[in-house]
Amino acid sequence: MGRSYIVEDAVEGYLSELCEQRAGSVTGLLLGQSSPQRDFVVTATRTPPTEETLAGNSVDKEWVTEHARQVSRMLPGGLSVLGVFIITDTEAKDTLTTLRQLVFAVENLISSETLWSPAEDDVTDCVALHVNRKTRKTFCRTFDVKDPKSTAKPADWKYQSGVCSSWGMVSCCLLVDMLVPLPDKRTDPEYMDKCLKEELRGWAQQVESGVCLIDGKKLAEDAEFPGGQKRNVRQTYTAQILITPREQRLAEVERRCGGSVSLTGAVHSRAYLHSNKPKARLAEKLLKRDAVSTVATRVQMLLEELLTSEEENKSSGKHKREHCLPHRVFCPLKASRPLCVCDYQFSDESVCEVTERLKEMLDIDADEGDLDTRQESPAENTEREIAAEPTMETVVAPEPKRNTFIGVAMATAVALLASAASMLYLYDV
Amino acid sequence: MVVTDSSDSGTILRVRGPLEFRCQLDSTDALLMHKVISRTFATLHSQVKSESCVLTVCESPVIIWPNKGVYVTPEEITPNTLCEDIHQWIQTDEQESAGKRSSKKKSKKSSAASVINLSLMMEATKTGPLSAPILRRTLQKSHFLSTTLPMDCVVRITCSDTIKDAFECLMEALTHQLLPDSQLETHRKELHQQFELQGDWPYFRRANAFHFPNELYKDGYLRNPHMVLTHPTLDNGKVYLVQGIYSYHHYMQDHVDDNGWGCAYRSLQTICSWFQQQGYVERAVPTHREIQKALVDVGDKQGSFVGSRQWIGSIEVQAVLNQLLEVTSKIMFVSQGSELASKGRELANHFLTEGTPIMIGGGVLAHTILGVAWSETTGQIRYLILDPHYTGAENLQVITDKGWCGWKGPDFWDQTAYYNLCLPQRPKVI
Repeated sequence: MGRSYIVEDAVEGYLSELCEQRAGSVTGLLLGQSSPQRDFVVTATRTPPTEETLAGNSVDKEWVTEHARQVSRMLPGGLSVLGVFIITDTEAKDTLTTLRQLVFAVENLISSETLWSPAEDDVTDCVALHVNRKTRKTFCRTFDVKDPKSTAKPADWKYQSGVCSSWGMVSCCLLVDMLVPLPDKRTDPEYMDKCLKEELRGWAQQVESGVCLIDGKKLAEDAEFPGGQKRNVRQTYTAQILITPREQRLAEVERRCGGSVSLTGAVHSRAYLHSNKPKARLAEKLLKRDAVSTVATRVQMLLEELLTSEEENKSSGKHKREHCLPHRVFCPLKASRPLCVCDYQFSDESVCEVTERLKEMLDIDADEGDLDTRQESPAENTEREIAAEPTMETVVAPEPKRNTFIGVAMATAVALLASAASMLYLYDV
Repeated sequence: MVVTDSSDSGTILRVRGPLEFRCQLDSTDALLMHKVISRTFATLHSQVKSESCVLTVCESPVIIWPNKGVYVTPEEITPNTLCEDIHQWIQTDEQESAGKRSSKKKSKKSSAASVINLSLMMEATKTGPLSAPILRRTLQKSHFLSTTLPMDCVVRITCSDTIKDAFECLMEALTHQLLPDSQLETHRKELHQQFELQGDWPYFRRANAFHFPNELYKDGYLRNPHMVLTHPTLDNGKVYLVQGIYSYHHYMQDHVDDNGWGCAYRSLQTICSWFQQQGYVERAVPTHREIQKALVDVGDKQGSFVGSRQWIGSIEVQAVLNQLLEVTSKIMFVSQGSELASKGRELANHFLTEGTPIMIGGGVLAHTILGVAWSETTGQIRYLILDPHYTGAENLQVITDKGWCGWKGPDFWDQTAYYNLCLPQRPKVI
């Protein structure tokens, strides 16, 4: 039994347009949501044209993959790259190898960047769609990306209108508060990246194992997500996430460092759910994954900026630097309401740069007025506040009341501090 | 802070959870380090007092926001619901296998108070929109401290306590764990009055944490082996016992072969363990070397004493208790062992007012007296003895069966030898 793809009508129109517009082969991505029973394709986007692809018939595999990586950063929870399409004049059997390569490459690249662990119930089939330019006929097959030796399996490809009209959305505003030490000898951005990634992985696990409340209630594992069964009724739910702070091994209580990095603020996270009797745990899984990836994506984007920016290469005497992470902006998919895609806007960028990226990456024509910028407020650069913080030089008078939280050992070396902190809680009496 | 009253089977609320303690110390100046660490503790304190602090009842869907007017989910429970009703929401094994296990559970319930376990968590979400994250990088050679503070807090509730009452009480107790012991003295005074406790017993010092039945003592020493014994019944007699917890120290422990010479040292260790466990001192039980060094320090012995296998007696025990623990002791002298039979009143009084273990040395032996059974009318007397000459493993069965901890009659003592007893006095503080 092959998989079944339910595809939004507008995608048919889009693929037709692509057939007419250009000669040569056109590749692109199919975006949507998988579920154990069937898959939903809500939109498609062509690989942005480059000079080489416009010229000849060739498919730039690396660019297709890179495009997929960037697009997946622009998809909120519940939406992902389901597979690849190709429009050519040739027969379906001729493109099979290419499609297979593309599907695997795309999937491998995207999953290498994710910080969460794959779940048992994740669907691992990806779609490879061939469209014959002349006849407009579609040939739909799937590959199981978990199995490198998998062969193409036929799948159903059916167009339908209003596929997403009753989809639900669950969202939350998640606080982030991390403090990471940087090693003594290495405080460059590359190492900062490494340290942050490790911390983010730990944080991702915390979020994954956290308790998720939907509309203030902890739903049972197998409970159905209170989603819209009626068509054209929008359902939005607010989630809360409760986390347990991490246990730390005592061996690492105190260490020398060359500095530290802190990440504080909040992110808006959301996930869309299909309306085909989804389970509450699916909503939880998708929301948590979105939360983790939106933070990771932004940190990644910032670090990429820092690594390339010229300012950083100059040896700056500054001890403290502050960088604002980009804030999240949403753009509705006109043909697939109520779904939205998203992008990230740096504080020094204008809104039109966002609309340009949406056009280039997702082939979306959006006006500034279409964008939803209300979900997050841009981070405020508080450098002036940092200067006002009491530094070593300004502390002159001793404190009138000695608050000895840790006994007498405080006054001596740092090594004693660490052991004293652990002795404070005398549980091994 | 748990007063186990066998007549009232109340419920205990226990909340556990880790708090992450992280800070960067960019100075070795003690004052500044103080400041940073204090600030970090203050941050944790405010976290626990914030609306983001959440308590989840283990094995149940009940979640409580104690700082948000004690808001509870599911909706059926309100802050005015009786706290004990939470039990109904807790999923136990019995719910699944009906009948088979229920009888076992009933018999267990009567002996101990039931415990509602809670986990301390933080709500990581808030209503938005909020500002996007900022990354701050500080370049400064410094020290990074990171550890986990294992919060563990208990309150006892009565059947008339509402959730609101109980949780407000619990949160106060929890936030107090983030304050130092000395600052808590006024709080302890209040608690003493509240529970109508004797003014000079340190019930509420940290070390007197309630020992949950399912937890093991990690240091491997037996505690209060005398508790499993059947106490003698004498005509018109009463039993007077050591009050509180001590550990049993004896020959060959801690890889020290003190067979034949260390009995008084071991008795002294048992006494020290009593002071530590009741929270009078934080100092760990001293080793043989530390005991010997203390005696050299006070001028009682020459330097060569340290590392030797020389015996000590009650006077030395008194000196060490004074030097290392700042505990004073009374010395009782009997010119012959037979006189001990007439010391019933004094010994009974000691256990009543001081309640500390007694070290007795005479002839060639030293022992620890943990209690007396004495009849004022008949003069009959028995002594509860803890014998430090035992060389085996920490096997409670063997120790009690063979009488290494057991009740002895007056003929236990050498009737002609003289004995000195060291009676440690309990410091009258809370």
